[in-house]
Formats: sequence, structure tokens, C-alpha cells
Amino acid sequence: MVGKNCFAIASDRRLGVQLQTIATDFQRISKIHDRLFIGLSGLATDSQTLYQRLVFRHKLYQLREERDMKPETFASLVSALLYEKRFGPYFCQPVIAGLSDEDKPFICTMDSIGAKELAKDFVVAGTAGESLYGACEAMFKPDMEPDELFETVSQALLSSVDRDCLSGWGGHVYIV
Amino acid sequence: MKLDTSGLESTSPFFGSGDELCPELSAAPSFSLPLSTDFDEFQKDTKATLKHAKGTTTLAFIFKEGVMVAADSRASMGGYISSQSVKKIIEINPYMLGTMAGGAADCQFWHRNLGIKCRLHELANKRRISVTGASKLLANILYSYRGMGLSVGTMIAGWDETGPGLYYVDSEGGRLKGTRFSVGSGSPYAYGVLDSGYKFDMSIEEAAELARRAIYHATFRDAASGGVASVYYVGPNGWKKLSGDDVGELHYHYYPVTPSTVEQEMAEVAGA
Repeated sequence: MVGKNCFAIASDRRLGVQLQTIATDFQRISKIHDRLFIGLSGLATDSQTLYQRLVFRHKLYQLREERDMKPETFASLVSALLYEKRFGPYFCQPVIAGLSDEDKPFICTMDSIGAKELAKDFVVAGTAGESLYGACEAMFKPDMEPDELFETVSQALLSSVDRDCLSGWGGHVYIV
Repeated sequence: MKLDTSGLESTSPFFGSGDELCPELSAAPSFSLPLSTDFDEFQKDTKATLKHAKGTTTLAFIFKEGVMVAADSRASMGGYISSQSVKKIIEINPYMLGTMAGGAADCQFWHRNLGIKCRLHELANKRRISVTGASKLLANILYSYRGMGLSVGTMIAGWDETGPGLYYVDSEGGRLKGTRFSVGSGSPYAYGVLDSGYKFDMSIEEAAELARRAIYHATFRDAASGGVASVYYVGPNGWKKLSGDDVGELHYHYYPVTPSTVEQEMAEVAGA
């Protein structure tokens, strides 16, 4: 979710196999660099592999360009990587959030074969996605300060996962 | 196939006989059946999409003082939680309880129907029906609807002249007498706690705590169970609801959070 010169990215903490809960402290959001985070929902093994490939590509970029990747560029990279596997896809839906030039927040989400969806306010992914759309739509206000953004994102996440069997056990929220 | 329609007989069969204005009242009540020769394949795809997986946890066990019955309260449709406050322990009459697992409508309807038949038995025979008899009535009805898509996994618990009684009855037509049962998608987890903590000589409080803990552990691991853990006790004077605790609160009650080191702190980030 986008705020005033800041963004928030949040996820739940449950890891499960269909109905059985395996872990209640699973990290779904990972850092690419200090101003760019990616959250990967869906199949855990695919999200781990995809994250490792993205870190690899970003490190190469840092060596060649001698700077960090911009979020827009990174989103295109993720989209390309996902489409490479068009006929045997990674079963993940990424949510990308970063600060680009002049601290302007950038967010986007993708389906599992790389269709980018840019938004100015919020993006969602996961089993409780439809629920999250409703909750975010109701609670979002433009230009929120970090503290208010944190409250909004947390409440939207918690109320949506309370209506989903396959999500829950708390949340991780990152404000940048 | 002869269906057992005794559950649908009205209590006043002779009302309005010969009344041409309302022929439906005096006609024998019945469910209209689909015009199909093969009931097993009939609308199989539709039934599959309704996902009648028995997403719940219920348990019951007999001990020295009587029968302890417990259940969660979550209703799920696939992944969506439709309710966190469903009554899964159905009061058939003041000394008998039934648990709900499977299709909610099926369980509610047939348990209420069973309550009616038990009362009729009492009036006809001037004595209460036994748990054996009540469970047999229900099992016979469910057997006659076998293969038509009813989804019922219930336990009939009660106290009659022979003492505490517990039967498991399901929509496949099975009926089992036993001392410990758990039904639903969370039952493997509940069995683990229940079986390792069970002793016949328990007090009512110990048995209630065991039942509550077993339901809590099932709701922890099973995504389709959650909400409130209700515990009922059936004794010589009938049933009594002992507790209804939210499983989220039970979690922090059993495993209190100790203040730990900070996981992540806000850090100053160098500008781009």
C-alpha cells in the first residue's frame, strides 16, 4: 500500500499444506535492497527459488551498473523471469514495493506468468486476495503518514485473514 | 429402493381427510426425487463443487463421571470462512446430545427429526428412549439415503438407564459403539491429544480440560477448524454446557508470550 513518500508491504505468517498448518512464523517478504521489497505468495518452494534467482540477477546488475536497481526495472525483470516459464510456471504471485526516484513509492503485483498490474494505491495477492481488495478499498486514504499507514495495512490484513482458513497466525509488516 | 420416510410423517395424519380444497394436507409427505435411474452419478460434478469436506473438529469420550462432548465452531466453504460461531453440538433432548460434522443442513435437520422421534417413543412407551435406540433410529434413516449425497458424521452421546452411552453414526450408514471418538478434518490432531491424556478415572474438570485442549490443538493445526471451543458434559441429570472459549485466547493462555528480543528495528537508510 502506498503512503506519503513511503510504502507498506505486509504478509501473513502461516505456512500450510492444504488444511494442515506446518509453520506459524513463515517469512514471505524478502529484501532486494534497502528501498525494494518483494513478497511472494503461493507455493513456498517456488517462492524460495524465485527469490534466489532474483537476488542473483540483482547482484549481477549491481556489479555491472554500480548502483541498485530501480523498482520499475525490477518489476520488468520479475515479469520476464516469470514469462520464461510460461508453459511450466512458477506457482507464485509476487507483490513488489519500492521507492523510486525522489522517494516516490512504487507498487505492483503480477499473476504467476508475469502480467504486471501497476496501481497507485494498493495491490494484493494470495488466497484471501478478494477479501483483501475489499478491506483495502474500504480503509485506504491517499497520502497517509507512516504511522497511519501501518495501522491501516495491519487492520486490512488481519480482518481479511480472519475470513480465510488458509491464512493467518499474525502478520509481518514492513514500512519504508 | 424403499426410502424410510417415517421421519416425514406429520403428527396429525388424519387432519382434513376428504377435504378437496387442500389435497396436499392429507397426502403422504415425501421428498420429490430426481427422475434418474443412477443416483450415484446424478449431479456428481455439482456435489463435488459444493465441497462437503467435513471441515470441523468434534470429539466425545466416556469417562467415570459420564460423557464429555466438545467441538469447534468454524464453518468453511472451501477456503472461505463463512462463520466462526456455529453451534456444532446439537441438543436433541435434555439428556442427549448430537455433534455436527459434514453438511450443516443435513445434521441440523436429521438431529431435530431424531429429537421428534425420541419424544414420540417416550409418549408411546412411557419411558425414555435409550442411546442405543436413538442412534439406531438415526443410522437406519441415514442408511436408506445412502449414496444420495447426505454428508453427516455425528456422535450421539447421552445418559440412559444403563449409564453413559456414546455412538458414532455417519451418512455411509455406519454405526459404532465406543468410548472415544473424534470426527472431522481436525480429528487426527484431536486424537493425538485425547488418546495420550485419557484416563477413565478423571474428574469432570480434568475431563473438560482434556477435551478443551484436544479441540484447541486441532484448531491450531487444521485450517478448517477454529472459532470457539465448546465443552458439554452429559451426566445422570442430563447435559450441561461447561465452557465456550475462543481458541485464539486459549492459545495465549496455554503458551503465554514472553517479551523477547526485538526482531527488526527501524533503521536509517542512506538516500538513493
